[in-house]
Amino acid sequence: MPMKPPTSSSAIHSDSLDNGSGDGLERATKQNARSGGGRNWARWFAAGAALLLLALVAWRLWPTPLQHGIVVQAPERAFDFTLTDEMGQPVQLSDFRGQYVLLSFGYTACPDVCPLTLAELARAVDALGARADRVQVLFVSVDPARDNPALLDGYMHHFHPSFHGATGTADALLDVATQYGVYFERRADSAFIDHTATVTVVDPKGYIRAVFPYGVAGADMAADLTRLMR
Amino acid sequence: MKRYLLFSTLFIPAIAALAFVIIQPITVLPRIALAPGFALTDQHGERLTSEDLRGRVALYHFSYADCAAACASSNAAMQQIQAQLNELEELDEGATDSPVPVDLVTISFDSRDDVDALARYAARIEADPQRWHVLGGEATRLKQIVGSSFRTYYKENDDGHFTFDRAFVLVDGWGIQRAIYRSAAPPLDLLLRDIDLLRQEAEQSQGVTRYAYEAAHLFLCYP
Repeated sequence: MPMKPPTSSSAIHSDSLDNGSGDGLERATKQNARSGGGRNWARWFAAGAALLLLALVAWRLWPTPLQHGIVVQAPERAFDFTLTDEMGQPVQLSDFRGQYVLLSFGYTACPDVCPLTLAELARAVDALGARADRVQVLFVSVDPARDNPALLDGYMHHFHPSFHGATGTADALLDVATQYGVYFERRADSAFIDHTATVTVVDPKGYIRAVFPYGVAGADMAADLTRLMR
Repeated sequence: MKRYLLFSTLFIPAIAALAFVIIQPITVLPRIALAPGFALTDQHGERLTSEDLRGRVALYHFSYADCAAACASSNAAMQQIQAQLNELEELDEGATDSPVPVDLVTISFDSRDDVDALARYAARIEADPQRWHVLGGEATRLKQIVGSSFRTYYKENDDGHFTFDRAFVLVDGWGIQRAIYRSAAPPLDLLLRDIDLLRQEAEQSQGVTRYAYEAAHLFLCYP
């Protein structure tokens, strides 16, 4: 860069214009480009920052608004219970850490609600395809008097080979049900048991993430689970 | 021209997102935990279950029939809420859509409180039978419901009275705990504001606005 005394830009322009219109125009454009370059750089930076902000917003917003389930943001882990599974072995909720547990309550003699829920859960697991091994359906029977492990085993596998069932003593079941917002009670002089029919989703770390009300279709549950899994 | 178009495509959503966060057009209460499933007996000797309260906002408070001075301020707080809710209902009477109903629930953690004791207690606190349920039950159930699920400590003393946490819990229509007030008498306007927020969310969180509410849960700080 030649050592020149500082001159005003108009002087530089008039100097370069003196050399002939073609050259002058070229040099004037270059001058403009150089002095406008600072503003361009700031614009691109601002655009980049806006893009980054948008990307952050999209990344945060993208996975979680569930269409059908209700998202829960629990600060503490879900109640870890111990019941007896369909093989007669003790089973704890924490045995399924690392998987999304879909917890549902009912009984095998249930005429409509439980079979419908389990059928939809089976559809959901099938709809998940390759992701199905990240999910475990656990059906808790609130009717230990009739639902022994063998009966539970047959019932579960009727719906899907991967499903697990569990039951326990009346007190243990009441404790679990209370903690999961489930009410159940046998109707007087009846084979039927009234019970809450929600499906609770516990994440791989043991926190409740969502609750599906009764009647959500399997495909919809699968879509919501896919969103949760991202 | 093209450059400005590019910038505005990037800037406008970014500014909209910032505006959402700063102006906070939607306020939501956190979804803290599942409310317990229960089946207890009320002051009329009838069963009240958590399923009966589905679809209704419920404000819970924990006390016992023999509690006198220690419970005066929390009973008074519930009475004030009851009065306000009744007033609001009278004002709403002309409205076409029925707002989400709000119930008050007092659970007595004293398993000795039978239906008569609950009825006397309800009469003393002037509980409106349509709206304010005073519930009692058996000891182990109460421990699970109040002690464990609502995380409210209580212990019987030698003289038959109790040492206990003062707490109020707000539960929404889906059975999720939305607010916990660890105070003998939370400010009335705070409780009313929170009840109103839950009602609004229940009424407005449909279709597209549901996304806005879920975004509020994800992005905004809680009030």
